Amino acid sequence: MSWVRATLLARGLSKAWGGIGGTPLPGAPFSQGPLQAPRGLHCGVAAPREETSLAPRPPEPPRKPVQAPQPHAELFGAPGADRSKGSFLRALQSFSQYSVRRRGHVDFIYLALSKMREFGVERDLAAYNQLLDVFPKEVFRPRNVFQRIFVHYPRQQECGIAVLEQMEKFGVMPNKDTEFLLIQIFGRKSYPMLKYLRMRLWFTRFQNINPFPVPRELPQDPVDLARLGLRHVEPDLSAQVTIYQMSLPNDMTRTEEATKPHIVGIQSPDQKAALARHDPARPVFVEGPFSLWLHNKCVYYHILRADPLPPEEREVEEIPEEWNLYYPMKLDLEYGRGGWDDYEFDIDEVEEGPIFAMCMAGAHDQATLAKWIQGLQETNPALAQIPVVFRLSGVSGELLTPTGMEEPTGPFSESHQDTDDHQQPQQQSHGGS
Amino acid sequence: MRALGKQAASEQIHRSKKGLGLAPGAGRWRSRDTGNVPGSEEAKPNGSREPQAPPDAGEAQATDVTGPRRLSPAHAHARRPGRSFAALGGMSLRALLRPRAAAAALAGLAASRRWLGASARNRAFAKELFLGKIEQKAVFPFPEVSQDELNEINQFVGPVEKFFNEEVDSRKIDREGKIPDDTLEKLRQLGLFGIQVPEEFGGLGLSNTMYARLGEIISLDGSITVTLAAHQAIGLKGIILVGNEEQKTKYLPRLASGEHIAAFCLTEPASGSDAASIRTRATLSEDKKHYILNGTKVWITNGGLATIFTVFAKTEVIGSDGSVTDKITAFIVERDFGGITNGKPEDKLGIRGSNTCEVHFENTRVPVENVLGEVGGGFKVAMNILNSGRFSMGSAVAGMLKRLIEWTAEYACTRKQFNRNLSEFGLIQEKFALMAQKAYVMESMSYLTAGMMDQPGFPDCSIEAAMVKVFSSEGAWQCVSEALQILGGSGYMKDYPYERLLRDTRILLIFEGTNEILRVFIALTGLQHAGRILTARVKELKRGNVTVIMETIGQKLRNSLGRSVDLGLTGNLGVVHPSLGESANKLEENVYYFGKTVETLLLRFGKTIVEEQLVLKRVANILINLYGMTAVLSRASRSIRTGLRNHDHEVLLANMFCVEAYFQNLFSLSQLDKYSPENMDEQIKKVSQQILEKRAYLCAHPLDRTS
Repeated sequence: MSWVRATLLARGLSKAWGGIGGTPLPGAPFSQGPLQAPRGLHCGVAAPREETSLAPRPPEPPRKPVQAPQPHAELFGAPGADRSKGSFLRALQSFSQYSVRRRGHVDFIYLALSKMREFGVERDLAAYNQLLDVFPKEVFRPRNVFQRIFVHYPRQQECGIAVLEQMEKFGVMPNKDTEFLLIQIFGRKSYPMLKYLRMRLWFTRFQNINPFPVPRELPQDPVDLARLGLRHVEPDLSAQVTIYQMSLPNDMTRTEEATKPHIVGIQSPDQKAALARHDPARPVFVEGPFSLWLHNKCVYYHILRADPLPPEEREVEEIPEEWNLYYPMKLDLEYGRGGWDDYEFDIDEVEEGPIFAMCMAGAHDQATLAKWIQGLQETNPALAQIPVVFRLSGVSGELLTPTGMEEPTGPFSESHQDTDDHQQPQQQSHGGS
Repeated sequence: MRALGKQAASEQIHRSKKGLGLAPGAGRWRSRDTGNVPGSEEAKPNGSREPQAPPDAGEAQATDVTGPRRLSPAHAHARRPGRSFAALGGMSLRALLRPRAAAAALAGLAASRRWLGASARNRAFAKELFLGKIEQKAVFPFPEVSQDELNEINQFVGPVEKFFNEEVDSRKIDREGKIPDDTLEKLRQLGLFGIQVPEEFGGLGLSNTMYARLGEIISLDGSITVTLAAHQAIGLKGIILVGNEEQKTKYLPRLASGEHIAAFCLTEPASGSDAASIRTRATLSEDKKHYILNGTKVWITNGGLATIFTVFAKTEVIGSDGSVTDKITAFIVERDFGGITNGKPEDKLGIRGSNTCEVHFENTRVPVENVLGEVGGGFKVAMNILNSGRFSMGSAVAGMLKRLIEWTAEYACTRKQFNRNLSEFGLIQEKFALMAQKAYVMESMSYLTAGMMDQPGFPDCSIEAAMVKVFSSEGAWQCVSEALQILGGSGYMKDYPYERLLRDTRILLIFEGTNEILRVFIALTGLQHAGRILTARVKELKRGNVTVIMETIGQKLRNSLGRSVDLGLTGNLGVVHPSLGESANKLEENVYYFGKTVETLLLRFGKTIVEEQLVLKRVANILINLYGMTAVLSRASRSIRTGLRNHDHEVLLANMFCVEAYFQNLFSLSQLDKYSPENMDEQIKKVSQQILEKRAYLCAHPLDRTS
C-alpha cells in the first residue's frame, strides 16, 4: 500500500518538475537544458531491420500535460506558422506597438527567449539586441546611491540577465549596441551590465580553448558528417577517407531490402602498413559502435583492431648493419644515457592493440560492417587472409537516449522537456563474432 | 666496414713524397694503381670506422704495388686505345706528364719502406680534437709541394684556364641546358676526364692536391664541374678503388680518355641515404653467368650521356649459416648490355648544363665479371666512393669565389653613388672582407685536407673531407648572396653571370650528402672514437669511483678558476708564428674545452646521443670551426715564415677568422652545457612538433579578432 503511494507520489513530483521546467520562470528558465535528442541510432535507415531492432517498447504515455495559456503567445503566431527571423522581429515590433507602455514586457521577453530556437534566431545577435530593446529605457536606472546599493527593479534585472545568459549559452558575443542598450535600460552599475562585462572578458578567452574545434554548422548529409567525425578522431593527416557505399536516395519506394546505409571509412598509411604486417594467424576484431559527440549530435564509429602481441612474440626492432650510407645509426658504446639526463617520467602505460581502420556507417549490423571489410580488402590485400571477428555491442556511449526520438524531427519543442518519465530503451546487444 | 677504405688508403701511400717534407727522393705526386690486393680485403669488425692498417699488410701491399708501377709507362702507352693525342694548343697535359713517369716509378720502391715506418705515428687529426688534443704533426707545417711539382701544376693549369676563360660559354650552357659537343671534346683532349685515373690506364694520375688545384679552374663553370665530378669523383671511382685488374684494364682507359662517360646510380625514388630501401634488384640467371638487373634510379647526373654505369642493386647473398639475405652489390653496367633507358633530362634550378635524368634498367644482363668488389659488398663500396669525393669542393668554391671577388671589386670601384665609389662605403667593404675570409679559410682547409690525403699512411680523412664540404658549400652560398647584394639590381638580372652563380651554388648544400647529414656524420664519427677511448673513464665515473670523481671535480675547479690552456702551439719552438699567437691560444682554449664538453656529453647521453641531433649539429659546427682555425693558422704561419707575397694580409684574415670562430665556439660550447640558458632545444622541438602535427603555421593572423 505504502509502496503504491510512494510510486504515485514520485510520478506526480516528476510531472510537477517537468511542469516547472516547461513554464518559463524567472531566474532559471533554462536551467534544465533543452533535451534535444541527439541523432539517434539508425538515423540513416528507414526502418530498423530485425537484427537491429530494439526491444518492443511499452505504450507511450500521454505526453503533453495541459498547459496554462501564456500571455502574448498569440504574437508569435500559431504553431506551424512562418518561423523565421523576420517573423520573430515582427512579433517583437508588434508587442511594442500593441502595448505602448510595454506592460508585461518581462513575461514577453521570457516567452520570446524560449521561442528563439523555434524561430532559428538563437545565435542571432541582432535578435537579442532587438529583444533587449523591448525593455523601457531609463525607467530602471538607479537614481540615487541607495537604489544603487540595493538591487533596483530586481525582476527586470534578472530578466535582462536571462537574456544575456541565453546569449552566453549559444555563444553569442554581445557588441557595443548591447552595451549601449544595457546602459540605457539599467545604467552602468547594474547586474546585467556586470554580466555583460564578464562576457566580454571571458568569451574571448574561451572562444578558442577547444584544441579540436568542430565547425559551428554541422553538415546535414550523413556522409559529410561521417567524414567530419572520422577526421575528428583520426590524428594522422595523411589518412584517407573512403566512401565504401553511398546511401540510396530517399525515394518513395523504399523497402527494407533496398535500404543501403552509407559506409565511410578512414585509414592512414601507417595503419595500412601495420595491417599488411599483421600475422594472419591472429584474428582482427571489428568493434563498436563507439559514440562521438559533435556539438549536440552523436555519431557512432567502428574500429578494426587487433590484440596487442604477447611480449614473447614481439620483434625487437634492430638497426640493420648496412642501412645508412652517410653516418652510423648507432654508436658502438657500452654506456647509455646518464640517470641525471633521463627526463622521461615513469609512466605505466596500458598496452593497447593496434587499430587498423575506422568507419562510420548508417547501420551498425554485421552485414553492413562486412561490406566495409570487403571494401577494405581491396586496398589491403592482406586482410583477405586474416580472420575477422565481429564484436558488436549495443549503443552504449550515448547518455540517456529517450525513446521515441529516433529521428529528432523538428527543432526544439517543449514536449521534450517533460518526457523524463519515459522508460529507457531496452537495448539489445548484437551477437558477437 | 673499412676494409675497402684501407685499400683505398694504401693506394695513396705513394702519392706524396715531399708533401710534408718527410719523404726523400725526387718524385711527383701521382695516384697509382695498386692492383687488387686480396690480402687487404679481409673484413674488419663491422661498425668500426677507424682504419688502422696493420703494418705487415700495408707492406705487402706496398711491395706488390711497385711491380706494376715500374712498368707503368709501357702499360700506359700500350693501353691507350687509339686515342688522339692532339694536344690543345699544341700541348696535352698527358704529354707533359709522360717523360717523368719512369723516374717517379723508380723512386717509388726506394721510398716506400721509409714512409711506412713513418706512418705509424700519424693519427687522424679531427678525431683527436674530440679528446681535446691537437695532433700537431698532422697539420703543421702546412703541406707543401716542391718547385718542380709546382711548375708542373702550373703547366697544367695554364691551358685549362685559357680554355675555360676563352672558349667555355657558361651562359650558353646554362641557357640551353647542354654542354656543347665541341666543349666536351676539348675537355677530353685536355685529359680532364681522367684526372685521377692512374697513368698506366691512360689517366693523368694526379694526386689529390693537384686535383684540387685543377678543380679551382674547372669550377668556373658549374655544369662542367658537376659533369666531370659525376664522371670521375663518383662514376668511375668505384673501379679505381675496388675494381680488379681486368675491370680496370677493360674500362679505365676509355673512361679516362672521355670516350666513355661514367655515371653513379645509387639514388632511387624511395632511397636517398637509406640503403635498406633500395628496390633495384639483380638476380642471378640460371646459368650463373649473368645478373638480371631491374629497377629505376633517379636524379642520375650524366644519366643520359653515360655509357658506363656504377649501379647498386640488391642481390640475394647466402650467409655462412645458409640463410639468405638481401645485400647490396655494385655492378659495372655498360649501356650496350641492353635494357637501359633514360627519362627526359630534368629541368633544374642550377647546373642546368649538366645532364640529370632517370635511368631505368629492364632485364639488363650484367655478366658476373662485372660485379664491383664482392657480391654483397656494395654498401662499403658506395660509402667509400661517397667519402672519397668530397674534399675537392673546397678548392673549387674558393676558385669560384676568387673570381667573384674580382668581378664585384671591379663593380664596387667603378660604380658611383653620391659622388663616391661604392667601395668607400663600410657596409660594402665588410662584404669583401667576408668573401676574402671565407675563400681563404676554405682554400686552407681544402689544401690541408688534400695534403693529408696525399700523405703516406694517413688514410682516413673522411671527417676532414666532410668538414671541407660543409664549410665550403655554406660559404659559397653566403658569399654569392653577399656578392649579389653588392651588385644590387644587376646581380638579379639574367644578363649578368651572377644569378647563375647563385643558382649553381645552391646545389652544393644538397648533393654529395646534405650538410645536415654530413654534420651528423662528422659528430658521430668523432664521438664514436672519443667514446671508445673514454669508455674506462666513463665507467669509473658512472660506478662512482671516488678518486676519479674527485679528480674530475678538481679539474673542473681549476678550469673554473680560469687557467690558461697551453697545448704547445705557441712559444719558443711553437709551430705557429708569434704574430698569430693570440689566435693560436684561442684555438688551444677551444680545443681543450671542446674535449671536456665531449666527455660530458658522452657521460650524459652515452650511445643515445645518436638521437640528439641538435647536440650533434653543435658538435659538428665547433669541429668545423676548429679545423678551419687550424688550417688558417698552419697556412698563415707557413706564409710568414717562407715570406710569401702579401702574407700580412693572410695574417689579418687568419686572425679575423680565428676570433670570429672562437666566439662562435664559446657560444656553442655554452649551449652544450646542461641547463644552459642559451639552449633553446626544448622549445625548438616543441614548436616544430606542434607545427608538424597540424602541418601548418599555427599562429592566428595578426588582424584576427575574437569578438
